[in-house]
Amino acid sequence: MRRVPDRLRRSDLTRTVDERGEVVAVDELDGGLVELSARLPLLAERTLPGQFAQLRCGPGPVPLLRRPFSVAWVAGDVCAFVFERVGEGTRRLAALHRGDPLDSLGPLGTGFTLPPAAGRVLIVAGGLGCAPFPLAACWARRSGREVTVLSGAATAARLYPPERYRRGDGGISVIEATDDGSRGHRGLVTDLVEAHLDASVVALWACGPNPMLATLAGAIGRADAALLPSVAEASLEAPMGCGFGTCLGCALPVDDGDGRRWALCCTEGPVMPITAVDWERLRELPPAHVA
Amino acid sequence: MSRELTLDPRVDLGRGLLLPNPVGVASGTFGYGFEFEHLVDIQRLGAIYTKGTTPLPRAGNAPPRVAETAAGMLNSIGLHNPGVEHVATAYAPRFAGWRVPVVVNVAAATVEEYVDCLRRLEIDGVAGIELNISCPNIANGLDFGRDAAAAGRLVQACRAATSRCLIVKLSPNVTDIGAVARAVEAAGADAVSAVNTYIGMKVNLGSGRPVLPGRGTGGLSGPAIKPLALAAVAAVRAAVSLPVVGVGGIAEPADALEFFVAGADAVQVGTANFTEPGAAIRVLDGVVAYAEAHRLGRLTELRAVPAPQPA
Ligand SMILES: Cc1cc2nc3c(=O)[nH]c(=O)nc-3n(C[C@H](O)[C@H](O)[C@H](O)COP(=O)(O)O)c2cc1C
Ligand code: FES
Repeated sequence: MRRVPDRLRRSDLTRTVDERGEVVAVDELDGGLVELSARLPLLAERTLPGQFAQLRCGPGPVPLLRRPFSVAWVAGDVCAFVFERVGEGTRRLAALHRGDPLDSLGPLGTGFTLPPAAGRVLIVAGGLGCAPFPLAACWARRSGREVTVLSGAATAARLYPPERYRRGDGGISVIEATDDGSRGHRGLVTDLVEAHLDASVVALWACGPNPMLATLAGAIGRADAALLPSVAEASLEAPMGCGFGTCLGCALPVDDGDGRRWALCCTEGPVMPITAVDWERLRELPPAHVA
Repeated sequence: MSRELTLDPRVDLGRGLLLPNPVGVASGTFGYGFEFEHLVDIQRLGAIYTKGTTPLPRAGNAPPRVAETAAGMLNSIGLHNPGVEHVATAYAPRFAGWRVPVVVNVAAATVEEYVDCLRRLEIDGVAGIELNISCPNIANGLDFGRDAAAAGRLVQACRAATSRCLIVKLSPNVTDIGAVARAVEAAGADAVSAVNTYIGMKVNLGSGRPVLPGRGTGGLSGPAIKPLALAAVAAVRAAVSLPVVGVGGIAEPADALEFFVAGADAVQVGTANFTEPGAAIRVLDGVVAYAEAHRLGRLTELRAVPAPQPA
């Protein structure tokens, strides 16, 4: 029997601010990952785990559009973002220096949901899908949940460092997988899910490439209903013109009870119930071209 | 000593639509206004031109729908909108309580459909109609915009169907934009807006295909099109004596001023809203400051292209 899909939620734009911050650090991690941190007091105060900010990549008209980034972690009034240099925008952000101005519009989008029940949160992160999880894991811990992070990447160098997920909290356990077996399980991070999805899991949060999320959605569809957590959510990606629901550019295929339709990734996502996404239709679309 | 204001910022687009100031926000870049309510003081805007609204709700095109280009963006949204009935019943009552005039942008496939939409919008809260005969992203979206005679027939039918100020949004994807402008003027339009987006394409060499799906084309907007849009506005200004609303690539106060020089009576800020929600307000403040510094009574004093004398 097909599980009834969970409904999409809508973001709260009353909390969004256009804020000029200041770069604190640009850290080069292994494997080409960059961690940009900036003093953005309003974003730091308001963001929920899983939400994102639209960052301006420079003062001029090239590149024109802001780029969306999940808030990776918050410390005091500093927010951090994790990305790779995939195009002109991210190259410019990676070339910023301490003290440079940084324009952020956020927080935007939906965040992850933490159900009231006690238990464990299972996080599945593939590649750059690590981005929202240091903050989300920390939030779950502060709310008294245990946290297991299943962290996957192509190679050991490209894994987001486990100590950065933990940020000093020993209660966050990180289990790793690499495509080439250079660290942890050899194979896909989704291979690890079955072994860790037991009745103690109250929430499953995932972020990563669409094929990974689709595999996960398939596994959830087949799993014993008694083992399924009440929350199973994925953070998705789409090319964005605005980030706040006006350009209508960030359509993703969903089926959440009103029939198949296009939902906006920026206001009905990026975090969506994994069962509400129309994975079949998403697979047929060309991959998102995000720079 | 209090400083005397010289500028009268109001713009009369005709048939009772008096804009409080010349800087509005372009269709499809500001939703129906609510999205921005918490980010900017929308009541300070000269006008809000809504998302293109069609007779029935439209789900829009398959993604990807937007692609960035040098100093611009391509979009192929496909008129994703809730339909005229929803706009009339759920949104217009809210517009009615706003100080900012809301102009509903209407798109349809046939003369009858346009007329039905306009009749449905003869209600409080709708300050004017912007007739979109220039959408490049739906099948036949340009049928009226590319043919001066067809545009004239459409406007004539719409003129009879609405008591509201009727602004016709022209397509730049034509050989002679002045000819279309003259046809809609003769058919009873109150004003024209120029321009909608330019048909463009972006190619992904990796996949060997255009980035946007379907025909692979979309509408180009943003700073990249400003010189083209200025030339189009000047051509329209030289062709008709109607008020002209200039749009295309405005991101800074100086951009807007250039449109007044080219012959515009009012302007719309479009794509810039996406990167800076307060862009239109900043443009407005800059334009007013310039006018005050230069002791202008009206922005049309900047005009370098004269309008033809009314026949
Ligand atoms: C994402 C997007 C959606 C648009 N949708 C509409 C529309 O529904 N109706 C319309 O008349 N123009 C639409 N336009 C065109 C704009 O109103 C404007 O004419 C054009 O973008 C040029 O101005 P700009 O360079 O300031 O953006 C759209 C433009 C963009 C970028
Ligand atoms: S990015 Fe503009 S609507 Fe989502």
